[in-house]
Amino acid sequence: MSEIEIKVLTKCYKEDIKALNKINLNIRKGSFFALLGPNGAGKSTLVGIMTTLIKKDEGDIMIGGLSPEKDFSDMQHYIGAALQENELDPAETPFNLLHFQGRLFGMSNIKARQRADELISLFGLENEKNKKTGSLSGGNKRRLHCALALVHRPRVLFLDEPTVGMDPMARETFWRVITSLNQNEGVTVMLTTQYLEEADKYAIDMALIIGGSIHFQGTVYAFKQQVNAGDNASLEDNYLKYIKSL
Amino acid sequence: MNKADLHLIRRGVTKLILRPEAPLMGFGMSLFFLIVYNAGIGGIGFLEAFGPGGYFAFIFPIALVSLAMGSSAGASQALNADMQSGYFRRLYLSPVSRKVLIAAPMLADIASTLIFSSLIIAIGALFGLPFRFGVLSLCGVLLLSLLWAITLCGFSTGVMIRTGRHQSAAIITNTVFPLIFLSTTYMPRELITSDWLLFVSWGNPVTYVLEGMRFLLAGTSPANFFIIAVAVLGSSSTVSILFAFKSANKMKF
Repeated sequence: MSEIEIKVLTKCYKEDIKALNKINLNIRKGSFFALLGPNGAGKSTLVGIMTTLIKKDEGDIMIGGLSPEKDFSDMQHYIGAALQENELDPAETPFNLLHFQGRLFGMSNIKARQRADELISLFGLENEKNKKTGSLSGGNKRRLHCALALVHRPRVLFLDEPTVGMDPMARETFWRVITSLNQNEGVTVMLTTQYLEEADKYAIDMALIIGGSIHFQGTVYAFKQQVNAGDNASLEDNYLKYIKSL
Repeated sequence: MNKADLHLIRRGVTKLILRPEAPLMGFGMSLFFLIVYNAGIGGIGFLEAFGPGGYFAFIFPIALVSLAMGSSAGASQALNADMQSGYFRRLYLSPVSRKVLIAAPMLADIASTLIFSSLIIAIGALFGLPFRFGVLSLCGVLLLSLLWAITLCGFSTGVMIRTGRHQSAAIITNTVFPLIFLSTTYMPRELITSDWLLFVSWGNPVTYVLEGMRFLLAGTSPANFFIIAVAVLGSSSTVSILFAFKSANKMKF
């Protein structure tokens, strides 16, 4: 059963530059999906359209049976996004930001406080709870940025280069949280990353986008089989072999 | 309007209270105009053209006009801070209406302008400012202040969103500033001898705001100035809000 259905999606930034060229993509419910591709391939544009930040030119998108245009509010409740750049108010504390996020998503004051405390504990931000966000370390800012995407318990989670700036310990905590959401709560995860070892470790399904077109869609295993960079070759080895062959 | 929208508006107000530079600057500028011009030119207030309130009542409207000019950048500064930190994108991904994202800091800004306008009017009343129609005059002056504040705030917010730079909002203040001098700010129409200045002042919206307020305060202008002022500012405030909301669609992430 598809959680995300994309049909003939096109986006042009200028008349001649097609960032996305008639993309078709199906992502099954509950999957851990990696969207891979070189810089400028169209990954961020695709994620931007799916998260309603960027307007498409043509095509259709349905996420959990919802349309970004027609079901704006329901869609925002259904999806969560931790995109490339941090989205934090430096003048606020992590607790206040998480609490306010909960209130924006319709939680009562008590529930929003409980959820904020829960996420602070989950991401190991107890010592930073009442510090100004602007004074946090890069890794802690990143953790908080990701925690904010989870406040409203989304069913589809978009992660765009989520672990950039995190130390190994923070990365380990982060992936523990995300894999638990995926495996225990059935949250569909769409990961965009240049750290291919992370995609190799956690993703089951993947798509490879190059120059605004999908070159491959299937399982990570199937991609490795198709490219065949070697018996124990990693996803990165196979990815590099594929890119170099173009 | 739902609860989430109200939370966002409350945040806008809180931000403004924590960073009150823009409204305080407007308030300071307003008091400065009132005190300096009254002290410098107030001596000619005995002339009949200035009416029963003297020069103080005549010059008073410019204090309200300049108050909004000084504080109108508050919303664009707050929005710009959120855009620079990336937090605006987080808000953009919430279920809150995107128009409310723009409207919340504008509402906070306009509310603060109204509060400071009331304070200036209270100061004026203490110094004998006449209100020709009593409470109705007070409401009329506040209405004109409100529409003027919306006009400036909407345009400066729209310009900031389109350019992404909060300094750009100063374009509006810089555009309006010369209009003060090309109007009946310091002298009544009867005492302006230059034909070209009189001609220009008739096409200047600031003239109608000032004269409309003078009709309500000392009654030195006819009622039609007030009616024209409401019509002009009603139109310009509507256009400025539409401009700000349209600008939101031009945002790039």
